Amino acid sequence: MTTYIIRRLLLVPLLLFGVTILIFGMLQFLTPAERASLYIRDIPKNERQLEIIIKHYNLNDPVYVQYWNWMVGKADPITGEIHGGILRGDFGYSRTGSEPVMDMIKHRFPATLELALLSVLPIIAVGIWLGVAAAVNHNKFIDQLIRVLSIIAASFPVFVFGLLLIMIFYAKLNWFPTGRYSQWVLEEIVSKQFATPTGFMTIDAIKAGRWDILLDTIRHLVLPVLVLSYISWATFVRVTRSSMLEALGQDYILTAREKGLSENQVVRKHALPNAMIPVTTMAGFTVVGLLGGVVITETIFNYPGIGSAAASAATQLDVVTVMGFALFNGFILIAANLIVDVLYGVIDPRVQLS
Amino acid sequence: MDKLLSVNDLRTHFYTREGVVHAVNGISFDLEAGETLGIVGESGCGKSVSMLSLLRLIPQPPGKILSGSANFNDIDLLSTSEDELRKIRGAKISMVFQDPMTYFNPVLKVGKQVMEPYLLHNDVSEKEAEERMFEMFAEVGISNPKGCAEDYPHQYSGGMRQRAMIAMALMCSPEILIADEPTTALDVTIQAQIIDMVRKLRDDFDMSIIWITHDLGIIANLAQRVIVMYAGYIIEEAYVKDLYKKPLHPYTIGLLNSLPRLDMKEKEKLNTIEGIPPVMYKETNLCPFAPRCQFAIDKCLNENPPLERFDNKRSVACWVDVETGKERK
Ligand SMILES: Nc1ncnc2c1ncn2[C@@H]1O[C@H](COP(=O)(O)OP(=O)(O)OP(=O)(O)O)[C@@H](O)[C@H]1O
Ligand SMILES: [Mg+2]
Repeated sequence: MTTYIIRRLLLVPLLLFGVTILIFGMLQFLTPAERASLYIRDIPKNERQLEIIIKHYNLNDPVYVQYWNWMVGKADPITGEIHGGILRGDFGYSRTGSEPVMDMIKHRFPATLELALLSVLPIIAVGIWLGVAAAVNHNKFIDQLIRVLSIIAASFPVFVFGLLLIMIFYAKLNWFPTGRYSQWVLEEIVSKQFATPTGFMTIDAIKAGRWDILLDTIRHLVLPVLVLSYISWATFVRVTRSSMLEALGQDYILTAREKGLSENQVVRKHALPNAMIPVTTMAGFTVVGLLGGVVITETIFNYPGIGSAAASAATQLDVVTVMGFALFNGFILIAANLIVDVLYGVIDPRVQLS
Repeated sequence: MDKLLSVNDLRTHFYTREGVVHAVNGISFDLEAGETLGIVGESGCGKSVSMLSLLRLIPQPPGKILSGSANFNDIDLLSTSEDELRKIRGAKISMVFQDPMTYFNPVLKVGKQVMEPYLLHNDVSEKEAEERMFEMFAEVGISNPKGCAEDYPHQYSGGMRQRAMIAMALMCSPEILIADEPTTALDVTIQAQIIDMVRKLRDDFDMSIIWITHDLGIIANLAQRVIVMYAGYIIEEAYVKDLYKKPLHPYTIGLLNSLPRLDMKEKEKLNTIEGIPPVMYKETNLCPFAPRCQFAIDKCLNENPPLERFDNKRSVACWVDVETGKERK
């Protein structure tokens, strides 16, 4: 087990290298002037000064020199201050966000993570539960119902569903507002009456015992969570159902029944652990899919996370910001993959040998 | 001797898209206490299905047990409640299957799986179950029981897996052990070891065994009585000695002739039974073996022979007296 994990960990630097190469390669499509914002905030309009900056930061030099600078940073020849450097956590300056990309991520990522976690956990719980229910009642009414519902969900576009929800619950009924918090909460945050140390509104509200703020937060989260998770629900149910059916058809299930176990025990102790192997992989993909899904969802609901920022950066051709987010996204994916791989090794003992 | 298990008119069909598979067509047999009963027959003749039906372990649907009774300790296995039956499965009647690889759960430790029936059927602690398991591992010749208990099935060799599966079946000291071709997947030397071991265990545990196989050679080594099945019917039943000395059914004769013999000359071809086993999609009113039978007479094509008592100690389902080639009187 440990050697398996170590082997996985050794792969991480390689993956990181690959991701940075990929992103860096894309940055090469920019002009040197545009790339200057990887190192400084105010790009001068003046041609002469621009040229000096391009020279200072080697933006016309061979690609490997640039890659090196991009990775570790580059000292300003006059002040000696180091600018840029992915490894230093400097992803460049965001034109659309008017702050360094990294600061933008710091400000906005907790909101996205909160949304994603609140979406993914119910997906896993409810998805597995429904999938198992469908498989155990194979071809009976419950199974058919769950199948039909998941097909409908899977074939219903996110933006349509999102807009529908907004039309009904926001415009018509005014139950669930858009954004992340109401004006009065925002004012409390800005005036430091309400502190947000973790960045997760739900957790901060609970810690401070501010139930009014918690309620407000939840009201803002309901619609985006629904939109973000419903498609994954459908896939999760399908994968769980089919892998559960497959497990239930295996010979060892017959052995389990032959031992005198009840049907419930057979499902829980023997079929489920096997069915969870493909479902775990699926969970990894789901997290990845969610991170893509937040772009649309956050935009629809005007939710101040990474996704909506990436969308507006993209529409304004702020490539440095988009690439910064892409790089960050890549790191998250590598981490998610690592977690899934380790879980995989825990669930399936056969993995360790191969 | 006492009848431990008495099966009557067991009939199991599968309702598939291609049609109704008449897998088991009204078989009746007894198992006596302490006896080892062999069941032989070609692939697909219904051996496994009939045994699985006894414990109601066939998948339903598509399977359906249409009729029959199976009396075991005054309980009819086929009509008793599911709860009652569960108390018998794995405790009083255990099964060992053909392929120990696929019949073990790949993601659970072997030890955990072996202890499971004991923990389920007895009010004991994990510790006691573990002790029992180590005892059983010793019985079936698994050295290093502690290490093996912690291993997963894929870390075992085929022979070891089958030993572990037998240990699992014996955990609750069953009265009947049903072994469904447990040695088919193993090579010949391991096969012989396992059979020797089972013979020893049978005496130690004082249990009755139903042993399913293709291999009449194994039966001769192990069983006292043998049932020959064909197309879902029992076509002959006899003590092993009698069967080998004088098979009564043309199919049994064919089976025995197709065994390799030591006195066989080199290059001499093994006899085979011509033709293929029937597809069991329809009820027949002829003897199911008639199309392949060299002794067949007109009657065989018009009427399916019932299993009839013969010499008061054996039974056969055939119209023809194979010695004379004429209809039996
Ligand atoms: N789940 C099922 N669905 C449909 N038909 C089945 C099913 N299980 C068994 N059968 C059919 O029932 C018949 C008897 O099968 P069974 O497994 O009892 O044969 P067998 O004598 O054990 O053969 P083998 O020696 O190959 O194990 C076969 O024709 C088989 O195709
Ligand atoms: Mg079989």
